[in-house]
Amino acid sequence: MKQEKFSFTFTCYAIILPTLALLFTFIYLPVGWAFSRSLYDFEIGSESRFVGLGNFREYLFSDPTFWPSMLHMGALTFFLVCVRLTIPLVVAKLIHSLSTEKSRYVYRTIFLAPIVVPGVALQLIWMNLVYSDAGLLNETLRMIGLADFTQGWLTNPDTALLAIMVIGFPFVSGIDVLIYYAGLSSIPEDVNESCALEGCVGIRKFFRIDVPLVLSQLKLILILTIINGLQAFENVYILTEGGPGYETTVPGLWMYYNAFKFQRMGYACAIGVVLFLMILTLTIINIKYFRSAEEVKEGA
Amino acid sequence: MRRPRYQNVLLHAILIVLASLTLTPFLFTANNIFRTKKEFDQSFFSFPDAFEGLIKVSALYLTGNDDQVEVVDGFGAKEIVSRDEAFGLYIDYAQQGPSKAWSVLRPFMQNSFLVSICTAIGVCLVGSSTAYILSRYRFIGREMVFLSILSTMMFPAVLTLVPSFLLVKELGLLNSYWAMILPYIASGQVIAIFVFRSFFAGLPEELFESARIDGAGHLGIYLNIILPLSKPVFSVVIIMNVLYTWNQFLWPFIVNTDGSKHVIASGLFIMARSQEAQDFGLMFAAYSISSIPLLVLFIYATRPFMRGITSGALKA
Repeated sequence: MKQEKFSFTFTCYAIILPTLALLFTFIYLPVGWAFSRSLYDFEIGSESRFVGLGNFREYLFSDPTFWPSMLHMGALTFFLVCVRLTIPLVVAKLIHSLSTEKSRYVYRTIFLAPIVVPGVALQLIWMNLVYSDAGLLNETLRMIGLADFTQGWLTNPDTALLAIMVIGFPFVSGIDVLIYYAGLSSIPEDVNESCALEGCVGIRKFFRIDVPLVLSQLKLILILTIINGLQAFENVYILTEGGPGYETTVPGLWMYYNAFKFQRMGYACAIGVVLFLMILTLTIINIKYFRSAEEVKEGA
Repeated sequence: MRRPRYQNVLLHAILIVLASLTLTPFLFTANNIFRTKKEFDQSFFSFPDAFEGLIKVSALYLTGNDDQVEVVDGFGAKEIVSRDEAFGLYIDYAQQGPSKAWSVLRPFMQNSFLVSICTAIGVCLVGSSTAYILSRYRFIGREMVFLSILSTMMFPAVLTLVPSFLLVKELGLLNSYWAMILPYIASGQVIAIFVFRSFFAGLPEELFESARIDGAGHLGIYLNIILPLSKPVFSVVIIMNVLYTWNQFLWPFIVNTDGSKHVIASGLFIMARSQEAQDFGLMFAAYSISSIPLLVLFIYATRPFMRGITSGALKA
């Protein structure tokens, strides 16, 4: 019997071994390294030197990019949070209110379709098509007689960050709409019916019934947006490389430059750790204080 | 409850405006595929000259007119030819951009296909077998294993980017497909395990029991019960994975230090930084070509994908 139990456990572990091996090699080992290497002044191919918390001290207190980049990151993330918590939800509600299932399906498909364009291509399309010298934005301004306002949107320090933000306008493509739609669809029919009986319809129903009942979806999108917002830098790298000057530099991009341009691997790891701690804190706050309706009910 | 008719019309109007705003950049992109550098120098926005020519020649066919036609090629040279030749010339003219873009993108595309397919197969194999064990058997340390998988979700990519590069370098995997495939499987399997696990846990235990009584081993159960019953879940996992892999840009860009294994996303970026970026028509053709594989996948897989999301696979 004991022999059998041993061989059963052994088989189980043999089957999940690939998962564990991959996890520990490609996730846990790098995570460990991120923390350990952040304590070293470390360049590829040369001696590493233990500096304790020196990298963190340098980044937090004497790196000139620290505050501006955090500000840019904050602005980009805040904008994304505002946009992704509202517009896709309204659109999902509009689609949900359509009278036939077929039209609902068609609109959901249309708004989902842009996900086939690779992220890099989307950024480059906006760069070439909308923001270039003779692009959509400048040509439209010339057409309506506002030629004075034409400019290099991504090279002007006043507009570069804004230009990065509004890529993807009107922000309804992708799976956000579908996630909210799923939430709206799961509202029980008797709730909707009793609402109609009480005369609670339209905008009032949206705020009193729909929004509270899709709180768990809102929370999911909020957490995802914050996590992505704090670490996103690929778009900035593609569009402006952090320029002009450091006007659009974000912490993730600075980490990337330190690692792959300046060869300061230890310093880059320290920036990564700082960002991780920020993300972790915000996620914990989110989970703790922004509870969805179901959780409130369960807790009571 | 019947809604007044005008309200439905209003809803459609708002949604159509939003949909057209969303699709505008892509429609312009599609239009620009067939335009040459010379056309862009003249005006940034217009219908492709080649198409105008094709329409003109087609009109000649329709009206039965067989006069000679004047054709202006991409460099501004004029030729007077018969309508059949003109048709051929305009077709050549239109496909210049796309075929040049394709010749640049083809190696990137092949690498992307190889990496995406290998990653998807790997994630399905590793993810489903682990999920099968976790969902159907209790063994010593199961909770620990589960927790160690769950907690990887806590670590954002930004934390592991630099050390992962150092690791791949130490392992001597730089400039190989493994540098992409193995880390993708490692991170992709986590979500896959959750999706598979919740599905497998819902299958009736009697099925597994009767299979075991019939003498089926783990492999037999996996092949004869799990696989045939789980096709929809597999397709959701595969789609999610291909989407993720196809969009990865920075990692392939970093681990391809000699540039030999670039995938479509990093390849586009390289293209946009090269001399070729001056040719807008070529670039727009490249953007469109890079979207075709996912478009095909999208056409085939919208329904299962939407069902997957709508059924609440993604809920906090």
